[in-house]
Amino acid sequence: MAALPIVAGYIVLGVPCGILGAQAGMNLAQITLMSLLFYSGAGQYLIPAMWLAAAPIASIIASVSLVNTRQILYGASLSRFCEHAGKRLSFLFAATLTDESFGVNTERFANDRDWNLARATGVNLFAFVAWALATVIGALAGSLFSVPVALATFAMTSIFLCLLFMQAFSRPAIVAALTAAVGVLICKLLGLAGGAIFIGAVLGIGAAMVVSSGAGPGSGSGPGTEPGPGSGSGPGTNPDSGTDSEAGKGLRMLSEGDGDQGQTAKEPTP
Amino acid sequence: MNWGDFLIIMGVCIATMLASRVLPVFLLKGRELPGRLSEALGYIPPAAFAALVANDLFSAPLLAGDLWPTAIGWIAAVPVVIVAVKFRSLLWCTVTGVLIYGLLLVLFP
Repeated sequence: MAALPIVAGYIVLGVPCGILGAQAGMNLAQITLMSLLFYSGAGQYLIPAMWLAAAPIASIIASVSLVNTRQILYGASLSRFCEHAGKRLSFLFAATLTDESFGVNTERFANDRDWNLARATGVNLFAFVAWALATVIGALAGSLFSVPVALATFAMTSIFLCLLFMQAFSRPAIVAALTAAVGVLICKLLGLAGGAIFIGAVLGIGAAMVVSSGAGPGSGSGPGTEPGPGSGSGPGTNPDSGTDSEAGKGLRMLSEGDGDQGQTAKEPTP
Repeated sequence: MNWGDFLIIMGVCIATMLASRVLPVFLLKGRELPGRLSEALGYIPPAAFAALVANDLFSAPLLAGDLWPTAIGWIAAVPVVIVAVKFRSLLWCTVTGVLIYGLLLVLFP
């Protein structure tokens, strides 16, 4: 039951994703394989969208891989629940973890004493099946409908915006985001469009490290395996910081690395 | 997309995805990362997502000075951010973004 909001969300997101794949000239087998073996919503939007934009293959791979690295945080955060579980179950759980199932499972592990790795993996698998089916339906429908590329691309932009603004904004995190954005702009102005995302992100991370070490040891580092609490989908610190440009206000509350309160939260999709 | 290109893209992307998903679980098993490393990992999401958003919004036509319909993305981004902050839901953000972007595209081509 905990998987229901995710399943609903994945059906809504998966069908257009399949349509977009078909539009990029991927056949049904390719789209199905991608959902079964790769299983990444953001990645599966990114690949056909960049392909349609005639991006070089190296640039597609770099962007997708960079987006995937956020998963490291989810695995690191939930690894403590895999301590006593079998290798196969741990692998299955880890390999099917997504932004949304990380959000739901984090909340369940925090609030439900009976929650265990098998049930958590069950949530992952329900979401996985829903996603795969939805993208296949989209791929089949793709020959009937076509989605304007600009619109499909903006669906992806919306996902990134959402993931960005669900972050817990500490001061170094804001520096990371702003530096990365400016870095991308500069790269593109210099004609380095292919590597812009990767270069921008690395600059952002570097700038954040500089800022945080300048601000005194330990600030913002937080407890080791607790990544930014908002970094997935649901669990929200919900600092009610108001509008986007005011994000700075909500930060101070979080800047001392008190990320713990983010672990109690509600489900990502209503 | 031919199978050759598909297999190259998929092969590498699946490898990096599996590594990102599975390795931390098996390497850590509840242990903690060294402070600076986990701190740097924590800055990946804001930096990566900001880079991706910037890459989309500072699009080629915009940088070439073509303001409309490029500006639609910037306008539609505002409600998406509001929904993100208020509801923290990927689903509703996507629905909001696509509806508003699509509406602007239809109304002001």
